[in-house]
Amino acid sequence: MSMDLAGILVSAALFIFAPIGVGLIMGIDRKVTAHMQNRVGPPITQAFYDLVKLFGKRPMLMNRGQAVFAVTCLMMQAMALAVLVAGGDLLVVFFVSGAGSVAFVLGAFSARSPYSYFGAQRELLQILAYEPVLLLVILLIGYDRGSFVVGGINSSLLPSLILALLALVIVLVIKLQKSPYDIATAHQEIVSGPYVEYSGPYLAVTKLANWFETAVILGILTLFFWNGNVAISVAGKASIVVIAIFASQIIDNITARLTKERMVKFTLTAGILLVAVNMTCIFLVRQGVL
Amino acid sequence: MVLSGRSRIKSPWMLHFDTGSCNGCDIEIWALLSPRYDIERFGILNKANPKHADILLVTGPVTRKVEDRLRLLYEQMPEPKLVVAVGDCASTGAPFSDCYNVNGGIGRVIPVDVFVPGCAARPEAIIDGVVLALKTWKERKFSSKTKDETIKEPREREVRN
Repeated sequence: MSMDLAGILVSAALFIFAPIGVGLIMGIDRKVTAHMQNRVGPPITQAFYDLVKLFGKRPMLMNRGQAVFAVTCLMMQAMALAVLVAGGDLLVVFFVSGAGSVAFVLGAFSARSPYSYFGAQRELLQILAYEPVLLLVILLIGYDRGSFVVGGINSSLLPSLILALLALVIVLVIKLQKSPYDIATAHQEIVSGPYVEYSGPYLAVTKLANWFETAVILGILTLFFWNGNVAISVAGKASIVVIAIFASQIIDNITARLTKERMVKFTLTAGILLVAVNMTCIFLVRQGVL
Repeated sequence: MVLSGRSRIKSPWMLHFDTGSCNGCDIEIWALLSPRYDIERFGILNKANPKHADILLVTGPVTRKVEDRLRLLYEQMPEPKLVVAVGDCASTGAPFSDCYNVNGGIGRVIPVDVFVPGCAARPEAIIDGVVLALKTWKERKFSSKTKDETIKEPREREVRN
């Protein structure tokens, strides 16, 4: 993975602007949702106001472990994004980001609160639901390309991996904490689940970690389009992200929350099925059958 | 610091607590969250969690049973925070002020920033109350030199019955 100065600069810029982009996407998301519900909605910079406000509040902790796990989670997700934008190994990205999610769960478990416990258990179930699908998609990318190195992908994944992209949309709905699978952060049910005992700056740290986590999954989505021309490449990548987010938003607004059992059942069946069919297709094409 | 102050005013998350209200004012607060009044356009979210909240909207005359819980909720909210008393009962106890089981207004239990009159308080009035509270916050924020001063102020005004 040899990199020149320009490459390093591009990676650094991506690393800084990706979370900012996610913050903007969240603002636009709230605005569009508001318009879908015939409301005006908050300004699109709302996510940044929320974050800065939380950082400015007086710190309050249940125990020291909470802060340690929140910061660990943020660092893990940031590292995962750094590996991704530097053109590193997708498997490393996956496992580091997964470790970050587990740190977040431990943070929720560290506070003695029923809602926090519920939220942590449900977060574990969410990880159980989406993590195998995400791993299989990454393995499929490796099967298709013969390598997991992001920097080595120099053509669109979309033609050969379109079903894997659909599986990623299911993962995205869970990662963005949207209906029908906002199981862990279920606001009306368990207040905000794993976030419930966090407040002020520490809540902001966990939110920021979530931005990085979202940036990682959106970054994997952008791999599905590639073109020699930078402008076309960027436009294609952006449109895949916009379409995926919009799809998850529509799903969010037309569905009610389902139970955690149904989430695990549906995500694993549909996700693994999509990946399996896709892999079979690639195999048959290679054998010259299709 | 200016950025943080501006963000604070643009993103006040609310917590609603019913201290024995007849539900008239509560219904009006819920109306704020509906598309007709859409309070989210001010960045206000209903958080139902004192640890995430910046504004405490209280309805009802504060019965003796609920008094400790109100104080607990107030103490669990991280500084800086605001309290808005919604409706006549929350402001003065109104028809219940002489009752043996009632405190007569939340001002007797925790410090209040803005009183919104009305029985029930109209949604427009509640929005005005919240905006007024944010304005006093802004003035307090920019007039005081140190951060600690702004935080201590409510504690000093605390009235115990």
